[in-house]
Amino acid sequence: MENDKKPNNVVDDEMEKWDINLSIDVGEEWSNYRDDEVMQQHNAIQAVEAGKLPYVGDKEPLSALAAEYQSGSPVLLEKIKVLGQNYAAIRRTRGDGNCFFRCFMFSYLEHIMESQDKTEVDRIKENVEQCKKTLQGLGYADFTFEDFFTLFLDQVNDVLQGNETSISHDELVSRSRDQSVSDYVVMFFRFVTSGEIRRRSEFFEPFIMGLSNTTVEKFCKASVEPMGEESDHVHITALSDTLGVPIRVMYLDRSSSDSGTVSINHHDFIPAISDPPVATNSDSVSVVEPFITLLYRPGHYDILYPK
Amino acid sequence: MQNQKYLFGHADSYNHDEVLLFLEAVRMSTPARKRLMRDFKRLQQDPPAGISGAPQDNNIMLWNAVIFGPDDTPWDGGTFKLTLQFIEDYPNKPPTVRFVSRMFHPNIYADGSICLDILQNQWSPIYDVAAILTSIQSLLCDPNPNSPANSEAARMFSENKREYNRRVRDIVEQSWTAD
Repeated sequence: MENDKKPNNVVDDEMEKWDINLSIDVGEEWSNYRDDEVMQQHNAIQAVEAGKLPYVGDKEPLSALAAEYQSGSPVLLEKIKVLGQNYAAIRRTRGDGNCFFRCFMFSYLEHIMESQDKTEVDRIKENVEQCKKTLQGLGYADFTFEDFFTLFLDQVNDVLQGNETSISHDELVSRSRDQSVSDYVVMFFRFVTSGEIRRRSEFFEPFIMGLSNTTVEKFCKASVEPMGEESDHVHITALSDTLGVPIRVMYLDRSSSDSGTVSINHHDFIPAISDPPVATNSDSVSVVEPFITLLYRPGHYDILYPK
Repeated sequence: MQNQKYLFGHADSYNHDEVLLFLEAVRMSTPARKRLMRDFKRLQQDPPAGISGAPQDNNIMLWNAVIFGPDDTPWDGGTFKLTLQFIEDYPNKPPTVRFVSRMFHPNIYADGSICLDILQNQWSPIYDVAAILTSIQSLLCDPNPNSPANSEAARMFSENKREYNRRVRDIVEQSWTAD
């Protein structure tokens, strides 16, 4: 083998000399390079976005949404009116490519805070444990994802009241705006979403092929795992399935029906149940009602509050 | 692996410097530093072939690394040195990685910085130091012609593979004797 010729002792000496040289020039002038310039520009754009809106905004009445389209499309204004029959308020999220996950995070934690539903908390913890096993099974090293898991579970525990670490609604809002919490939770969702897509790659493959004409592996690496990559049906389906949380998405776009009546399309993402309960009589067939409702406008998600 | 020997011993026999490094990381105890200690541990316990790396003395945020040119390629036998500079946002933000050894490669700039998607917009915390170095190692033999950082190397790679390979061999030889 040619490698055996490599003189290890020479490399050894080199390493020592090199150690000394290195401490001088690292850390300066990194900005001269084209890729870094692109990254800086990207960061600058993000900073402008950040100035406009925190990761998660304040709750606003639905009229704030209508105000956006005052001089705009009549179809949209009509649709917002229809939306107003069932929904009272909106909470915007920043358009940084993470808006779907950010919406899901806030909406889910706020639901737990308001419902204090311990059964749901126990249920999702089991799913999270399962997600962990999925990632381990796919060969991910524990330490690359465990911090993100822990941080998410901490948030779920903290919105439950009566513990030492319990938090107020204000604190939930401020944590959702704090990058060191918010981005970690978003990343947790990205991990479990990627894990679910990979675990059920045969199921997701045709959707992914249709969406971006790429492999499951490449899709997860390029469009799920990196921060700032926007979410689509595939992401939502996978997240809803893996955490077992139903999600309703209301679609606000310019499409209108031929009949002339204005209606709003929506889609419910109902988790695929691996072991469906057997209905004993017709009454026990329960209809799953999502407690998370998102408003979709092409390219962006916000949170909706029902009346 | 024999090549790892000169950087550190067995995982369970930490030397004095490593203990200091560990204590420093615990004392500073930020998420980035704690994570980097685990990156280090993994790299020691389960080092990928042809790769080594370690934090500099007393500074877990700045690493030295070596990538060995893959066997049976023009890069075979090369020992290429890099630095990885981490920030407190790690692992949410990638490190800045730069070759210290002189390189001749379509995706490596003259100053040693690297044009690689996972180090820029495709970064994810799923990558640890071992994964970063492995990706750079495979970039050596598998350049991406769509994002040239060295236009001469990019042109030669597509138009005159013979000459390209000769230049790579030069770089390999230089890597043994460089300062």
